[in-house]
Amino acid sequence: MSTGYEKQPTAFYALIAALVVMSVGPVLLMFINSFKLDVDIISGTSGLIFLPTIQNYETALCDVLWYKPDHVDHCSLKFGNAFINSLIIALVSTVLTLVIGCMAAYALVRFRFMGRDTVSLSTLMVRMVPPAVLLVPVFGLWNNEFCIGKTTYVGALIRETFGGRGDVCLAGTHSGIILVYVAMNLPFVIWILQSFILQVPRSLEEAARVDGAGPFQVFFKVVLPLIKPGLAAAAIFTFRIAWNEYLLASALSDRNTKTVPILIVNNMSEFNVEWGVIMATGMLLAIPPIIFTLFASRQIITGMTAGAVKG
Amino acid sequence: MSLSLKSATAGLALAACLAGPSLANPYAEYEGTTLIVNFPAHPHYDAVMKILPEFTAETGIEVEVDQLPYLKMRERQTLELGQDEGEYDLIAYVVFSKADYVFADQLENLAKYFMNPKLSDPGYDAGDLIDGYVYNIGFAGGDKGYLQGATGSLFGIPYGSETSVLGYRKDIFDKHGLKVPETYDELLEIACQIPELEPGMGGLSSRAASGHHAAHAFLLHLNPMGGAIFDDQWNPVVNNEAGVKAAEALKTIVDCGPEGATNFGFGEALGSFLNGDTAMFLDTTVVAGQIDDPSKSQVVGKVGWALHPMGTERASQTGGFGIGIPANAENKEAAFLLMQWLTSRKGDKLVAMAGGNPSRFSTHADEEVNAKYPHMATFGEALKHADPDWRPIIPVWGKINADLGTTLSKVLTEDLDIQEALDGVAERTKGVMTEAGYYTWN
Amino acid sequence: MRRAVANRLTPYMFMAPAVVIMVIALLYPLGYMVWGSFRDWDPSQTIGEAEFVGLKNYVTLWHDPNFRESLGVTLSFAFFVVTFEMFIGVGLALLLDRNIRGMSVLRTLFILPMMIAPVVVGLMWRYMYHPTVGTFNRVFEAIGLPKVDWLGTNALMSVIIADIWQWTPFIFILSLAALQSLPRSALEAARIDGATGWQQIIHIKLPLMMPVLIVTGLLRLIDAFKVLEVILVMTEGGPGLSTEILALRISRTATEFRELGVAAAMSNYLLILLLFFTVSMFAFTRWQEMRANRLRTAVEEDE
Repeated sequence: MSTGYEKQPTAFYALIAALVVMSVGPVLLMFINSFKLDVDIISGTSGLIFLPTIQNYETALCDVLWYKPDHVDHCSLKFGNAFINSLIIALVSTVLTLVIGCMAAYALVRFRFMGRDTVSLSTLMVRMVPPAVLLVPVFGLWNNEFCIGKTTYVGALIRETFGGRGDVCLAGTHSGIILVYVAMNLPFVIWILQSFILQVPRSLEEAARVDGAGPFQVFFKVVLPLIKPGLAAAAIFTFRIAWNEYLLASALSDRNTKTVPILIVNNMSEFNVEWGVIMATGMLLAIPPIIFTLFASRQIITGMTAGAVKG
Repeated sequence: MSLSLKSATAGLALAACLAGPSLANPYAEYEGTTLIVNFPAHPHYDAVMKILPEFTAETGIEVEVDQLPYLKMRERQTLELGQDEGEYDLIAYVVFSKADYVFADQLENLAKYFMNPKLSDPGYDAGDLIDGYVYNIGFAGGDKGYLQGATGSLFGIPYGSETSVLGYRKDIFDKHGLKVPETYDELLEIACQIPELEPGMGGLSSRAASGHHAAHAFLLHLNPMGGAIFDDQWNPVVNNEAGVKAAEALKTIVDCGPEGATNFGFGEALGSFLNGDTAMFLDTTVVAGQIDDPSKSQVVGKVGWALHPMGTERASQTGGFGIGIPANAENKEAAFLLMQWLTSRKGDKLVAMAGGNPSRFSTHADEEVNAKYPHMATFGEALKHADPDWRPIIPVWGKINADLGTTLSKVLTEDLDIQEALDGVAERTKGVMTEAGYYTWN
Repeated sequence: MRRAVANRLTPYMFMAPAVVIMVIALLYPLGYMVWGSFRDWDPSQTIGEAEFVGLKNYVTLWHDPNFRESLGVTLSFAFFVVTFEMFIGVGLALLLDRNIRGMSVLRTLFILPMMIAPVVVGLMWRYMYHPTVGTFNRVFEAIGLPKVDWLGTNALMSVIIADIWQWTPFIFILSLAALQSLPRSALEAARIDGATGWQQIIHIKLPLMMPVLIVTGLLRLIDAFKVLEVILVMTEGGPGLSTEILALRISRTATEFRELGVAAAMSNYLLILLLFFTVSMFAFTRWQEMRANRLRTAVEEDE
């Protein structure tokens, strides 16, 4: 039963082929269209026969290209800048979430000072909160309450070094967006890592402690290396949310901290939908998740099943 | 040292003045300033982006532009203008934001800048600015609170303003011997004839998507039909006979329109006209540049322009954008200089040549501009009928507009009874107005 | 002695960053929202300046036909999405639970839609649904079918289809995992007893998978209330309010209508609704665990 592959009827393979076309088709379509001129996309005649062009990508990336493409007379799309913002925000929030989540998960498992139930309950509770619900309070707090007056020492220092005007607020900064993402992802990460830490044999830690290692050393030298698969799964999920999120980022970012999803939504603006360029930006945004999917699908599945089956 | 430098500069300036006004440099003091401006993503402002480098070259004032879709732009401004110190030095605002900003004291009154001899250009020729636009977009505090009048004053200058015109496909009209519609009856008749004459083609492409789009399309027809949202006592009259007729017109247009018309935003409506899927387009003048751009349009050279058809009267829309200086801006004076430069005769012509919407009568009549854009003359004619009181610009308008737009969308997609729908709008509007205190003096 | 104190403090030190962040960026904002929902709050005001209006926002919403319609749209969206996804996902899992070559590649390809940004998903589908240039209508036209007004009159259906495309794989993968962890002995026994494929599915596989399926379904249900970006990009809630789910209405109320208090009250309604689902899900898993424990002890006592 477990050895060798079973032979299946042809209809079965046809079904599988259809499923594959359905799940990959739209992505492929976007990929192909991102290499077409708008005229080619709109005129109904061409299907697969067209002259591929990288013009759309040139337009999208015009602010980071070392040369000036002929067809771009004004580089209005600051995609490069947004891409860097997205990277900073997604990477920093992933690292922070993992570090903080790891420590918390470890404490919860090893020191038993709070019931596991509390954590799983709060994980669920937080998973339940839609980002839209956070919109109003986060908007209000980040703009008005979480501020340092510009006359205070720190505020003045920040204004002097980084420029800008008014009180120093969390809104409009990378840190402001990162803070929300870390908070949104923490419970899930703690939950996943907890289940992995549970499997680390206690005896290993005891041995290290006998050798004179303090709790921090035990954690970093013994536990951490053993829960790598869990970390990978948690990292992908956190990154994905931070990379893809639109709503909160759009409420909190200013002109310098825009992320790619905001840029894409902004460019679907009503005056003219430039399909080619939009597809190119969409494709660029989709690349990191696609890479993860292709190279770490096992971790993703682990994360998904751990989150659902045990949650 | 600095004093002598200053006097040297003054001397230079004086010398320059004597040598002739063209050499004077009122900009010297602001050289090296970077202005942060907030503009919408809009064809006119795309054209503005092209001429800004010229401003920098001429004046030494740098301009950094934050371009956003216009609803987004409004959200951003709400936030920025509310701060004690804002980031933006100059903003373009949607006409209906005027009420919010002026009411909350967030826009600078321009009087003090035009009074300042160092800033104000004597050759500005304010009388040449299209008065309908100025009253609609720039003035506040006069009639009804939001218009010109004895108590009104200026808070912004129209820039990227627009009126409505009818674009039609000359080739299609010639082919079937159709007459360019002069009145609404003719318009509706032709709109519904076209799908029969040209299978697969829609009559008139109009925006109709839920919310702002549907409301806008409705307002386009409301004034020519002799209707209005409010009477003079702020009582909602949108559900009167004219209102019903306007909504019926909208429904007819959408029914005889291209496929999927019920969900068209402005972009889709224009897109279908550019793509040759419809024979007529009744909306803003902004689109003319794109219709003549072969990389975007399949109908280059096939489009003729005519005045907005009349119902009981001629009334084309006034709308679009104006530019103003936020009260919390850092570089207000330099911002005024930019504003003045952009809307001067020279700047207005430059932006018109780059494909923008001029705000001056003289630019509409300019030979060079007309040679490049033959439709300018028709647009200039249309402006004479532009109605500054095209829609109420009051702080609660956003809410009424949203309700109107959603309800009309239901009329279009769910066959809600028109009279009933508009009665509902009127009733809810009355509630909103009561709450906002509009009937305090009645 | 000092060491003992340090050891006792360690767990708190490990927990502290997480707790601090959760309190600052999650709990406090939620409290702030509840507080704000009792106020007539404009985005240009700070919350302190906003006037206290008691339950007015909640009452207004309760009588607001637009809010009710939006609530209805949300519920029907969630209902259809979860139902279809469960049927298709579980069905596919049952069908594909075979030992075939390339299963892992297949699973990888199926995950793809879930990983891609919702904004991009919305974008792709908006293009495919486009009345004239879109893929669907072109294909329909080519094979002689009438065109469909996807995002116009059939907007809700179109939005549901897009969501099914994106999230069915989630159900599929979880139920596949559940299927593959079923005790082989039970299946073998059934086969020996001569149960047909259908009988196996109905009497053995599905009942055994049920706990996982219910949790999965509830998770999906909760997530269905969070969908926003896909719809925002595809229809912006239109035409009419036909696709305006609550999350979208909250964001529009806050940004477009500039009524933060009402948006906060609406957020609270949504939270209460979700709380109901979550609590029932939690109660269900508890109950399940207790039953399993009881069974286990019963078995142990028997031995």
